[in-house]
Amino acid sequence: MKKFVAAALCVCLTASAAFAAGDAITTRKTIMDSVAAAAGLGGGMMKGEIAYTPAAGKAAIMSMAAASHSFGAFFPEGSEAGDTTAAPAIWSDAAGFEAALAKFAAASDAAVQASGKDGPADVDAFKAAFGPIMANCKSCHETFRVKK
Amino acid sequence: MLKKILGLGVVLAIAGAGTGWVLSASTPLPAEVLSSLPEGDAARGEAMFWAGGCTSCHSAPGAEGEDKLKLGGGLKLVSPFGTFVAPNISSDAQDGIGGWSAASFANAMMTGTGPHGENLYPAFPFTSYSRMDIQDVTDLFAFMKTLPAVAGKAPDHELGFPFNIRRGLGLWKLVNMSSGPVVKEPAAGADVDMDVWNRGRYLVEGPGHCGECHTPRNPIGGLDYSAWLSGADAPTGEGKIPGLDPASELGSWSVPDIAYYLESGFTPEYDSVGGEMVEVQANMAKLPASDREAIAVYLKALPAAAK
Ligand code: HEC
Ligand code: HEC
Ligand code: HEC
Repeated sequence: MKKFVAAALCVCLTASAAFAAGDAITTRKTIMDSVAAAAGLGGGMMKGEIAYTPAAGKAAIMSMAAASHSFGAFFPEGSEAGDTTAAPAIWSDAAGFEAALAKFAAASDAAVQASGKDGPADVDAFKAAFGPIMANCKSCHETFRVKK
Repeated sequence: MLKKILGLGVVLAIAGAGTGWVLSASTPLPAEVLSSLPEGDAARGEAMFWAGGCTSCHSAPGAEGEDKLKLGGGLKLVSPFGTFVAPNISSDAQDGIGGWSAASFANAMMTGTGPHGENLYPAFPFTSYSRMDIQDVTDLFAFMKTLPAVAGKAPDHELGFPFNIRRGLGLWKLVNMSSGPVVKEPAAGADVDMDVWNRGRYLVEGPGHCGECHTPRNPIGGLDYSAWLSGADAPTGEGKIPGLDPASELGSWSVPDIAYYLESGFTPEYDSVGGEMVEVQANMAKLPASDREAIAVYLKALPAAAK
């Protein structure tokens, strides 16, 4: 069974490598939209506009973690043109983009670690875990996004 | 672009003619104001420093953290009239403004007049700073004296004829400067706290100089006050700067949404602030929360611009 899952994953990955540029753009924008939705949930709880629950805190953190590990796979050569705000620097400074992704993933992984099985116990614990994830958005966008 | 240059050329030509020579002289603050300047308070001046965004232009491009307090200049500002280079305004007595009097500083900020009576270029947004309270200006000057001295002059502006003639700016200032408020107070009975609204108006129209980017310009580069904060072409010629009036996208943001954007850089959709607004937002984040809220209250109460 495990093997089967692994095999299925492999098929996915090869398939994604063969994605047409347009699909890659749609996929990575959808990932960022889910990141923004998770930021909205987390931000709303940090501001006190949405009542905090550990399960909701964990959901926001896990969405970030999933996105931070998958996002980087959707920037094939040729996908810099089209309906996208991805900056050419993603390809010309690939190492820099990798580093920004790694920072995003490290902050998310640390939050996953801190949240345990049931999610951060209270909103202060959530802030401590989620805040460092939110610090990644602007710094990556400043360098790796252009205006439409 | 060509129209703009022709427009300014005409103004300068007029300025060259006899009467123009008189009109184009600079107009400093009245002597009675200069002789009774209030004592500056450095601690209070810090808020004006961030509200005014001085570091965005006068610190080294890309400066972070403590380096934002080193005002050695050097940033290039590209405009249709040529490239301006922000000068050294650090406390260095030789290369900066360490040797300036408070009167010289107040004249520069509020009338765009340099210490030798020369006209300054409006790439330095004194067109907005002219609306500041004199007390805030002397407080700001006191704060800037506490910042590090940076040696070295910034390079000269790169301007062709006729824009390299400072004299011609006198007439430009007569036509384009106003030190009164832009937006009238809302009618009695409006659903806003007037103290908060007034603070917001002061910050936006004066030190915050939001209109310098968010308002379109006339052919000679002055602000078109009839289209106040209705959005503009980016000064570099590429892209648009969004409007902040109710007819623009901001119309759908709430007061807390706007205040949170100025604090955190996140839009209500949790997209992050971009472009030239990044620096502005970083400065706004350093203001007291009540000031960010006042700005938001003023923006939400803006009348729809007659575009
Ligand atoms: C490692 C870099 C990186 C990080 C970190 C990052 N983003 Fe993005 N983001 C991008 C790029 C690149 C795009 C442009 C994608 C495109 O248009 O192809 C983008 C686009 C977006 C968009 C617009 C999506 C669309 O539909 O056009 C939103 C909203 C967004 N990001 C929110 C966030 C938030 C919130 C965070 C922080 C929690 C974040 N991003 C963190 C790189 C990043
Ligand atoms: C948009 C960019 C910009 C901002 C923001 C800005 N300045 Fe300047 N400033 C300039 C430019 C460009 C000049 C040069 C004008 C000239 O040569 O006529 C200048 C000139 C000056 C001068 C005259 C210096 C001299 O040697 O003649 C002073 C003083 C000054 N600025 C202070 C400030 C202060 C204080 C602030 C914040 C409240 C500020 N500036 C914000 C661009 C800016
Ligand atoms: C140097 C130019 C500049 C100045 C000065 C400036 N802005 Fe902006 N502002 C921009 C740009 C460019 C954007 C678009 C940002 C983006 O694309 O993310 C913007 C966006 C905004 C937005 C979001 C609007 C939207 O629809 O997304 C708000 C709110 C805003 N500015 C308020 C202000 C306020 C308040 C001030 C004065 C304190 C100010 N701005 C001063 C350039 C400027």
